[in-house]
Amino acid sequence: MSFQLYCTRLKCLFRNRENMFWCYMFPILLATCFFFAFNNLYKVEDFETIQIAYDNEGQEADAFKELLSTAKMSDDKLMFDITYCDKTKAKQLLENGNIEAYIVGSENPMLYVKENGLNETIIKSFLDNYKQMSGTVETILKENPNAIKEGLLDDVMQYKEFIDEVKSDKNPDSLLIYFYSLMAYTCIFAANWGLDEVANIQANLSGRGARMSVSSINKMKLFVCNLLAAFTAQLGSMILLFLYMFYIIKVDFGENLGYLLIICLIGSFTGLALGGTVGVWVKKKAEVKEAILTLIVLGGGFLSGMMIADMKVIIAEKFPLLGYINPVNLVADAMYSLYYFDTYDRFYLDVVILGIITVVLCIASYVGIRRKNYASI
Amino acid sequence: MVVKVEGLVKRYDKLVALDYLDLQVEEGEIFGLLGPNGSGKTTAINCILSLLKYDKGSIQIFGKPMGPDAYDIKKDIGIIMQNVAVFDELTVYENISYFCSLYIKDKAEVKRLTKEAIEFVSLEEFQKFYPKKLSGGLLRRLNIACGIVHKPKLIILDEPTVAVDPQSRNKILEGIKKLNEEGATIIYTSHYMEEVEQLCSNIAIIDKGRVIAKGTKDDLKAMISIGEKISMEVYNFNDEQYNDIRKLPGIYSVDYHDNLLEIKSGKGKNNIVEVLEFMGQRNIGFGRVITEMPTLNDVFLEITGKELRD
Repeated sequence: MSFQLYCTRLKCLFRNRENMFWCYMFPILLATCFFFAFNNLYKVEDFETIQIAYDNEGQEADAFKELLSTAKMSDDKLMFDITYCDKTKAKQLLENGNIEAYIVGSENPMLYVKENGLNETIIKSFLDNYKQMSGTVETILKENPNAIKEGLLDDVMQYKEFIDEVKSDKNPDSLLIYFYSLMAYTCIFAANWGLDEVANIQANLSGRGARMSVSSINKMKLFVCNLLAAFTAQLGSMILLFLYMFYIIKVDFGENLGYLLIICLIGSFTGLALGGTVGVWVKKKAEVKEAILTLIVLGGGFLSGMMIADMKVIIAEKFPLLGYINPVNLVADAMYSLYYFDTYDRFYLDVVILGIITVVLCIASYVGIRRKNYASI
Repeated sequence: MVVKVEGLVKRYDKLVALDYLDLQVEEGEIFGLLGPNGSGKTTAINCILSLLKYDKGSIQIFGKPMGPDAYDIKKDIGIIMQNVAVFDELTVYENISYFCSLYIKDKAEVKRLTKEAIEFVSLEEFQKFYPKKLSGGLLRRLNIACGIVHKPKLIILDEPTVAVDPQSRNKILEGIKKLNEEGATIIYTSHYMEEVEQLCSNIAIIDKGRVIAKGTKDDLKAMISIGEKISMEVYNFNDEQYNDIRKLPGIYSVDYHDNLLEIKSGKGKNNIVEVLEFMGQRNIGFGRVITEMPTLNDVFLEITGKELRD
């Protein structure tokens, strides 16, 4: 009987077009949008060498000239293709569109551009960096002329990471934050299934619930059947999204796919429990409950970097507690830590916090659902 | 006794929804719970089904105390709610089968009972339809099928004909009679007195959470002073004639409006004759004459001073 109830409930869920769209189609559409919007943005190999002109105003010993000519976009691609000429010629080249910018002077180089764009921004950043670095060296040498001998300048020219975590050889990839947040959002979106299941079982929430409550089947047994069906449907949406991301748009999920599955399962269960809790305890109309859940899930997605990748960092720096109680962020963070770190400390921390949240939500749902009669219907 | 409710009290804060309500439903009867909207009918049903907590009183069904975990009692109860409670994502057949499987484990038995229920409500042609494709009347029939598919001994119908077309209403009422003939005890709540009068062998009239009268329809009508209601089309009727007709023996009340003279008389055999003689003596012309026995609305009106549909 239980299996029959499970199958019928599953049939109901798969035939609900609205739910199917939001749980199955919407994440895939969003993943596709992310792919087309951001995919090429961060790929170095897609950047072309930038055409510039340089007038060093007759300086013979020109360190800046050397820096410009050796700067690289990637291992085998120079950053700049430089035409050496005077300012007048450079201006003409810029007017004709042969170059994208020209630089005049070596000690205090000035940048001239015709319009704003990505390449112009890159050149400006390069110049700003150079000016900042040379200013620092100048100050140090003024204060301590022996700095070169003492090797103090070596440190200035090196970039150091001051992060305690053990990193893998991968580079931080903010594009992945979008995809991981989307996966996390899809997990927690299971809240909608949870809300439906509670409404279907509670006599004070729906006519169907009243009919179930009057029937001779044990309420908890029926709820578990329905919840399993919802969990199955949710897993289906997760698997579909994962396969789409993994095989079609080639998102890099790292090598820990088993752990990824675990966090997806826990996240989905958290979502179901969240929906159940809101369904049981928020004494408002169904539409209000749906709106609250949407706010929590979508808001959680936003705070975890689904819309703006930097948001995740901002929350981590300014409101760390918010990051720890946001289930979407915890799932996304666990996924990202699997990709980025070689150790599992951060992953386990996320899983434990998520587990605690899930247990609390499950208890809250259970306390509400176990009631069998009500003060009002 | 199938249902025994004693001293049931249900309060919503300061509002007393059920005020020491007593009900007894005997096996095999169609018991009508009649009352205006807000009188406490649905609250009483929800308390009987243990969906609502109540403050005082006791409820027994099939001689056993009813509670949320009384699954052995629940298996013999069928409920048809006021609002249609089915799954939009399941077809007519699947809905009925699903609700049947909440009670019956055997798959073949579920199939057989589902088929029977579909035939009972005449939805054979609509088996594969989704609820959204059904008209209001057909939807009500589906709702009934879902409630009775497991062949319950006690069927509770809470206003099952609200917003139903006359054809479907008749079909539903016929179906209820048939279920009763097959051995089910029925509790039928409604604010449509005609339905209750037509269907129920025993009736309790409820108002403000209290049973104000109970018995068969004849018992209830015998409780009031009105014996007959005479309606006449009269085109000229002055105040003097109005006062004179009121003085006739046995006349209980007279009302004249829109060329319609309504006379309520007490119990007696010759009321109509005396009224017609009076009209003849005074040369008062009249058209159609209709005489009616008092209705349950008159019973309600006399006891509470207000109409059932107020």
